Amino acid sequence: MLEIRSARKVFYKGQADEKVALDGLNLKLATGEFGVVIGSNGAGKSSMLNAISGALVLDSGQVLINGDDVTDMPVHKRAIRLARVFQDPMKGTAASMTVAENMLLADLRSKKRTLRQGLNATRLATYKERLELLGLGLENRLDTRVELLSGGQRQSLSLIMAVGGSPDLLLLDEHTAALDPRTADIVMKATVRAVEALKLTTLMVTHNMQHAVDFGHSVIMLDAGKLRLEISGEEKAKVTVVDLIGHFSVKTDRMLLAS
Amino acid sequence: MDFIQTVFTSFVSLIPVTLAQSLILAFVVLGIMIPFRTLNFPDLTSEGAFPLGGCVCGVLLASGASPLTAIAVAIIAGFLAGCCTAFIHLRFRIHTLLAGILLMTMLYSINLRIMGKSNLSVFGAPTVFDWAPFVQPGFPVAKIIVAGLIGAIVFILLNMFFKTEKGTAIRAVGANPDMAEAQGINVWVATIGGVGLASAFSATSGALMVQSQGFADVNMGLGILINGLAALMIGEAIVGKQTVLRQLAAPFVGAVVYYQLVSFCLAAGMPPPDLKLATGLFVLAMLALPSLRRSRGPAQARETIRE
Repeated sequence: MLEIRSARKVFYKGQADEKVALDGLNLKLATGEFGVVIGSNGAGKSSMLNAISGALVLDSGQVLINGDDVTDMPVHKRAIRLARVFQDPMKGTAASMTVAENMLLADLRSKKRTLRQGLNATRLATYKERLELLGLGLENRLDTRVELLSGGQRQSLSLIMAVGGSPDLLLLDEHTAALDPRTADIVMKATVRAVEALKLTTLMVTHNMQHAVDFGHSVIMLDAGKLRLEISGEEKAKVTVVDLIGHFSVKTDRMLLAS
Repeated sequence: MDFIQTVFTSFVSLIPVTLAQSLILAFVVLGIMIPFRTLNFPDLTSEGAFPLGGCVCGVLLASGASPLTAIAVAIIAGFLAGCCTAFIHLRFRIHTLLAGILLMTMLYSINLRIMGKSNLSVFGAPTVFDWAPFVQPGFPVAKIIVAGLIGAIVFILLNMFFKTEKGTAIRAVGANPDMAEAQGINVWVATIGGVGLASAFSATSGALMVQSQGFADVNMGLGILINGLAALMIGEAIVGKQTVLRQLAAPFVGAVVYYQLVSFCLAAGMPPPDLKLATGLFVLAMLALPSLRRSRGPAQARETIRE
């Protein structure tokens, strides 16, 4: 379960270009719920994800994961509970390390790291199995350095790494936006499969309205750092792209084109 | 023909001495490589940590401590110096190079304070080289055996460590700090510990050097960094840096080859004052090589993200 209580964050406070990123934002996501976050640029979507992951320190307000207050926890402590896939495929993986080593790092996210050998036969077999599910042939490239993979392969790897330990919370930050349509489709399908199979509590930010319609149990729309709209249950099942776009205060061509 | 003959004889006669020296200095090269390559933290602390280890060891030897105790204390002192550099960088967001310069400048005064004077003779004091098996102490062979043995042990231990769960985490911090943090790794602990460990190796080298040459000097670290970098570049050019094993072997191979090259140049009649200029130019060339290659040939294919 994720809960955000009256979160507030102001950038450049007291200066001419002061920007209120989060303006008393409240949000609740039940355990096992898949929420899709939409909103125009500057609505506070990224700030919200950063506040949840710990990369952004709030001016006031609280973040709770499974009922525990994590507001004062640094990023590496929160990592025990949550996993994140970034928009940029370069950000979520260690480029100069191998596929297997990256899998190991993710595997140990919520565990204590010891002085025992990292990559042993059991682990390698498990990683191979997990990567096979993608159908991208990554299972045969365990010793390849990640920098030699394509963007789509890297993003698929990031996804497998993130869902691996069944985190309490999965954050997806426009994770298919930098990929070509076919790869984006593969990654999106793998995401849905993993989220449904493991019943992960998930928060996905997207600019793709079709994705917002097709996936998730609820649509959350942010505007000017506040929750503007939440569609769930029956209503979510019936919602269309046109409905969603109707709620945007500023309509851009990109939105229509992306749908 | 006569000239070549002379150069060759004097070079060959210097090989054992140079080899002993290079095996001792290999630890500084290791202390430069670890932050530079595995933590992505270009670090200059070794220029201060090397004489720090030497001065600490010198003072302890002079006061009658055992050579092992002297090395152990030098290691601790070096570790603390490295921790300070990493802490200054992380806490005050000062560039790693500047943090290293600050430390090495301050360490100069500290080293003088430790010794009380600018140099200290410990000639005749017991050293770890006295314990070399099978050989008469005092000869280069004894130094080669002891320094080589310590080097081999350190090499094997580090190679194992960097493949453990903790070691992999430390390498991840160097590869992508943001990702490492998102995977639950404490970047501060890993960086401070890693740079500390590296400086501890530099200090070890200083301590061994003092025991080998029989005196400590506050200026013994002068130019050690650029020599170490040159050795590292040579080592990486020979054995590569694609795997943990190769990356760890590079400092040792590089140190041995580099100091033999220097010895050869000196034997061939190169004036010693020109040595630093030559070393500097060599390091520059090695660092510039990749970018020179790129501007000549066809542009390298780069991975791009599609919008």
